[in-house]
Amino acid sequence: MSRLRRIRAEANADWRSFVRRRTAVFFTFFFPVILIVIFGALVRTDPGSGGGGGLFAEAPGYYVPGYLAVVVLFTPLSRMGSEVARHREGNRFEKLATTPLTRGEWLLAQTVVNAVIIGLASLLILALVVVLTGAEIVFSPLLIPYVLVGVVCFCGVGAMLGSYTDSQDGAIAASNAIGLPLLFLSETFVTTEQLPGWFEPLMNLSPLTYFARGVRAATFPEAGVGDLAGLEPALGNLLVLTVLAVGFFALGAWSIPRTD
Amino acid sequence: MEAVVVADELQRSYGDTDALAGVSLSIGRGEVFALIGPNGAGKTTLVRALTGTTVPDGGSARVLGNSPETVDRDRLGVLPQDFSPPDRLTARELLAYYAGLYEEPRDPDAVLADVGLADAGDTWYENLSGGQQRRVCVGTTLVNDPDVLVLDEPTTGIDPAGRRTVWRLVESLADAGTTVLLTTHDMAEAQRLGDRVGLLADGELIAVGTPEELVTTHAGSSRLTVEIPTPDADTRADADPPTPVDPATFADLEYPIDVRTNAETSTVVVREISPTEIASVVTFLDEREIEYTELAWAEPDLEDVYLELADETEVARTGRAGGGTGATMAETEVADPNEGRESP
Repeated sequence: MSRLRRIRAEANADWRSFVRRRTAVFFTFFFPVILIVIFGALVRTDPGSGGGGGLFAEAPGYYVPGYLAVVVLFTPLSRMGSEVARHREGNRFEKLATTPLTRGEWLLAQTVVNAVIIGLASLLILALVVVLTGAEIVFSPLLIPYVLVGVVCFCGVGAMLGSYTDSQDGAIAASNAIGLPLLFLSETFVTTEQLPGWFEPLMNLSPLTYFARGVRAATFPEAGVGDLAGLEPALGNLLVLTVLAVGFFALGAWSIPRTD
Repeated sequence: MEAVVVADELQRSYGDTDALAGVSLSIGRGEVFALIGPNGAGKTTLVRALTGTTVPDGGSARVLGNSPETVDRDRLGVLPQDFSPPDRLTARELLAYYAGLYEEPRDPDAVLADVGLADAGDTWYENLSGGQQRRVCVGTTLVNDPDVLVLDEPTTGIDPAGRRTVWRLVESLADAGTTVLLTTHDMAEAQRLGDRVGLLADGELIAVGTPEELVTTHAGSSRLTVEIPTPDADTRADADPPTPVDPATFADLEYPIDVRTNAETSTVVVREISPTEIASVVTFLDEREIEYTELAWAEPDLEDVYLELADETEVARTGRAGGGTGATMAETEVADPNEGRESP
């Protein structure tokens, strides 16, 4: 099919461009690793001690969604944001707009590349979390759709950031400004109990919350994540995340500029 | 001739600036239409309006019988201005990438050979010279063997030999029936490639025709330029103004003349003179013992058309002449050097 060939051509070009930027490859994998080393090995989790207070008071397995979220959230936001900005600066979208490649196909190709990168990074993270923090987790097959759907969702958000900022610098700054609050306020590293009660409804607006709750339900059943709309938490949160991913992907594709 | 690209009263504004103020043109199958004009004249906006990458405020455009937004992309090849593709791909990979976007792509190696880069296929784009990069960019427009080719300043930064490679390529494509719209600041390129040339200024297509028609209509006549050293030239800053050659000296010549003078030379331009009549001017100078350092005859060309027409809009915009043949002569012709000076 010509559609598949177009997506493959775009993804192939993007993959080659990525792996030939050694510093980008290095830091894409170094960022989550250093985070695990700092939070997991240096700061360490200390469940129950001193009444269970502090930032890392839960069992190590609780924080697996947080570590995964580092790459599932940040990598698409920063990569897509800067990629869209780079395409705009080089008039690449103007060129692509005159080819049969559609905006949705372009974003899908970029998402495929991000999914491969983030999939590899996620494997590294899971291994490091288990080794360095001693986390006891279940390797649920649901991890795969969670990572994939999360990547789709945040690639859509990243595409929007790149489309509405006017430079690569702006896109990266915006992705950091949006990514950091989301990372820490979506039930990843900070529990609901540590936040004011009035903030909980706001947490429900973050797609990353459903990723964190769902991954936690799938990998760390001891956390006791509640059902969602009568569905098991692992499936219910995946459903919500999927709906959000479809929406953000569509918005991201729509926001990619075709005209000046 | 079947019209393949048609613009009808296209209008596009950015704020208070009219980038396109009702542009109409029609380009036939296999025709090369060269669009020239000053920076900011609206060339790129017109290209974008015809390729569906900007939405006009008014008017309409048709490409291959369809609106630019719905035209079959497999039949279109477009090189945007300032286009910069992914730079960590080799030239061959880049062409393969763009080829992969089309239904029936050409062999990237064949395209590399077309643009004269058969030996550079394995070099990353970022390591190619500026001219080679531009040729790869031109190559990306050829990977689908398009029926309509739109090139926005395709030879910018390309050395003369590479430019001729691109020219020959465009000519062969047009001979094979490809319709070509190109924009350029290179008048030699427009004159050589353009079956017709359009001059765009301030969003209006102010002249359209074959290069020959435009030159005949707008460029004026052939001219003989005579450089005459100013007697006792004094180049010091505080020196008195030079004594110009008196135009009356040439009153007996049967041709219209312009005279302009600077500190060291006077330039006499003799107009409407054919090459066979040059000898009469030489004899005229010799008989009057007028020394000259240079004698140059020139046929008017597209650059004269450009300067003549575009300079008018430049003057209107800035209040200064930019070097147009007529305006410059009129502006710089020296009259009485003592005019305006106080008497001692």
